[in-house]
Amino acid sequence: MIEYIDVYKAFDVPVLSGVSLTVETGETLSIVGPSGTGKSVLLKTTNGLLVPDRGDVRIDGHSVYGSDGNTLQQIRRKVGYVFQYAALFDSMNVFENVVTGLPDGEARRARSPEVLRKVCDALEDVNLDPGLILWKVPSELSGGMRKRVGLARAIVGRPEILLYDEPVTGLDPVNTATISRLILEIRERTHVTSIVVTHDIEQALEISDRVALLTHGRLRFVGTPAEFRASEDPVVRAFADRRAAAEVALGMVEKETEEVEEE
Amino acid sequence: MKTLARRTLVGLLARIGRTAETVARHAGELTLLAIRVAVATLTGRVALRDVLIQLQSIGVGSIPLVGVTAVLSGVVTSQQGGYQFTSSIPLYVLGSVVTSSVILELGPVMTAFVLIGRVGARITAELGTMKVSEQIDALHSLGRDPVAVLAAPRLIAGTIAMPLLVGLADFIGVFAGLVAARFSIGLGGESFLFGARLYWHSWDLLYSITKGLVFGFIIPLISVHMGFGTQGGAEGVGRATTAAVVFMIITVLVMDATFPPLFLN
Repeated sequence: MIEYIDVYKAFDVPVLSGVSLTVETGETLSIVGPSGTGKSVLLKTTNGLLVPDRGDVRIDGHSVYGSDGNTLQQIRRKVGYVFQYAALFDSMNVFENVVTGLPDGEARRARSPEVLRKVCDALEDVNLDPGLILWKVPSELSGGMRKRVGLARAIVGRPEILLYDEPVTGLDPVNTATISRLILEIRERTHVTSIVVTHDIEQALEISDRVALLTHGRLRFVGTPAEFRASEDPVVRAFADRRAAAEVALGMVEKETEEVEEE
Repeated sequence: MKTLARRTLVGLLARIGRTAETVARHAGELTLLAIRVAVATLTGRVALRDVLIQLQSIGVGSIPLVGVTAVLSGVVTSQQGGYQFTSSIPLYVLGSVVTSSVILELGPVMTAFVLIGRVGARITAELGTMKVSEQIDALHSLGRDPVAVLAAPRLIAGTIAMPLLVGLADFIGVFAGLVAARFSIGLGGESFLFGARLYWHSWDLLYSITKGLVFGFIIPLISVHMGFGTQGGAEGVGRATTAAVVFMIITVLVMDATFPPLFLN
């Protein structure tokens, strides 16, 4: 279970203003919201990549920020993180990249057949052919392949929690559908707890048990996809319904035009 | 007029304050980084393979450029010394001048400049790119310490390779000076070596290698520190790399200036 307790984070301006949220074990929760509202920042506070100014994050009851270095490392080993642009190590080939997702002891035995099997299994789990890409470097891969290698690196160590930061941003519809299906398959196969930060509301509603809407650093809505679709909140409706979104956008444009004319 | 003078003074003081704050912050962060590298090394968290890769890159890869720089340093010193000595001073003194100049100053400093341009800038750009493309975050999220994986191998390799490179530059520089003296002013090799031995202090070589050791630690330390602190995309990487090169050159020159009063008196 992941608990965000009154999390505050500001850079030059406040980004998160008191977010409290609980994600149950085995649940998939998607966080949606406008750009720049702190979705990725909230995700990065989960495993200590960003330290909140106030508040705490607890994973299975252990405080991420009250822990010593060793405990934090143990917590991080429980968590797989899929980065927005994959964040593969440029100087390593696909095999070496995926090996870094294994615990230290196994990663040191990178040449053993057992490790090679695990790496190949992880690549096959994300629909990649190890025979074709194992020895390629990231620059030789397409955007969709890089994302899937990043996913393979995140799951190879069999984490209990998976964090996805914009997993389908910049991908074509086919690759978007592939990644969504992979997220569902991984959840069904491993019962992993997942948090998905995404702009793609269709994907969020398709793969999630619950959806959270973050606006202006606060949670505006948390509920099931059905509740999200049925919500009367105009901001939620703007996200759930493209026509509503268009109306909101049109309203904003008209308002700005009136303000300019008044000036 | 008074207001303008006051504003100028306040602006100047503010700038001095900001510079002092920046220097103090960098000094603190560099010290912390050095301590973390030492802890990672002493607790056995640095992979030997990573150190060997960096030794190849920093040490072996720098040999050709260090060699060329050392040859040119030796040749220029020898020719200019020869030009000045042809009137009244015995020519064999040139052997001492070239040997002392190369070993005490040109060998370590020119090698440091080669390392700054060839290695330091590359480390900052490489780690800066890793920072802005979230590869450093990826290491953290995988439960690995970037200091042990990225910083320590580069610092260890720099500290091992640089004294050896300085020793090589000293040897090549003196030899090039000897050859140049023969061709420019007709000073024979035996006379050159006689002059070199006449004023030779064995301590000078240790002094030169010690400079190499210090520069070999400080250059990767600054470049790693600046790389880890990079922010803001490709432009940020460029900014950090330029700042790192300036920072390294100034630091090397300031440290070079502190060596004679500390060790040559």
